[in-house]
Amino acid sequence: MSKDRKFDFKDVETLQKYLSGHGLLLSAKRTGLSAREQRRLKRAVKYARFLALIPYTA
Amino acid sequence: MNEHKHTYQAMFLLDNQEVRQGFTAARDWVKSTLEKHGLDVKVLRLWGERPLTYKIRGRRRATYLLGWLEGSGESVNKVKREMYLLGPVFRCLFLQEDEIPAEELAFGVEDVDESALVIPEDEPEPEFEDFIEVEESEDGVRTTATKAADDASKAAAETKAAADTKDAGEAKAETAGEDKSGETVAATAGDAEEKKDDE
Repeated sequence: MSKDRKFDFKDVETLQKYLSGHGLLLSAKRTGLSAREQRRLKRAVKYARFLALIPYTA
Repeated sequence: MNEHKHTYQAMFLLDNQEVRQGFTAARDWVKSTLEKHGLDVKVLRLWGERPLTYKIRGRRRATYLLGWLEGSGESVNKVKREMYLLGPVFRCLFLQEDEIPAEELAFGVEDVDESALVIPEDEPEPEFEDFIEVEESEDGVRTTATKAADDASKAAAETKAAADTKDAGEAKAETAGEDKSGETVAATAGDAEEKKDDE
């Protein structure tokens, strides 16, 4: 059984792989993540945006 | 009141102007504020100095401070309230976590060699030369932006005038054809074509 991925808001390079050119989060269909992983990714992206590590929009 | 203790990961954005005056002083202010409201500071270390992806109250860069704390949610709220009013912190984030990772615990309250900490100046606002460049004229001061707009309107007027003269020539040829015989129609049409070529 595969372990769920966890996302860290400080890991900007990883987060940017899941963002579009305009800084929007890609859909689960495109990221290929499970629903739980996609939710974790969403939260990490929002924390990183709040801390100005990644842009809200580009 | 029943206060549950939790573990928190916290990130603080410090104003670079305050950090330039002394990183240790800014870090100690954060630490003392956390402890004043009953939070136990396990880790507090410099995470980095980096540009912000968007401006926050005119700032383009910030120093990031990472902390791992233990305490109640009530204490966290008090700390947030104080930090947004006073001190070098202009943004902070507290996240409840299950436990402190061992590699983070090893850092503790880390001291930084302030001479090695280089904080670059904020870059000035980019200049848009097309709009800022100013030229003097008889009427007064005009920017190149208005001049460019004038040039564009002149060019549009010229093309419109050229199109109007062309239409007028065609209309003249048609009216002449209605009034006169077929030969004159052919002659005027020929004249019109010659005029176009001359133009």
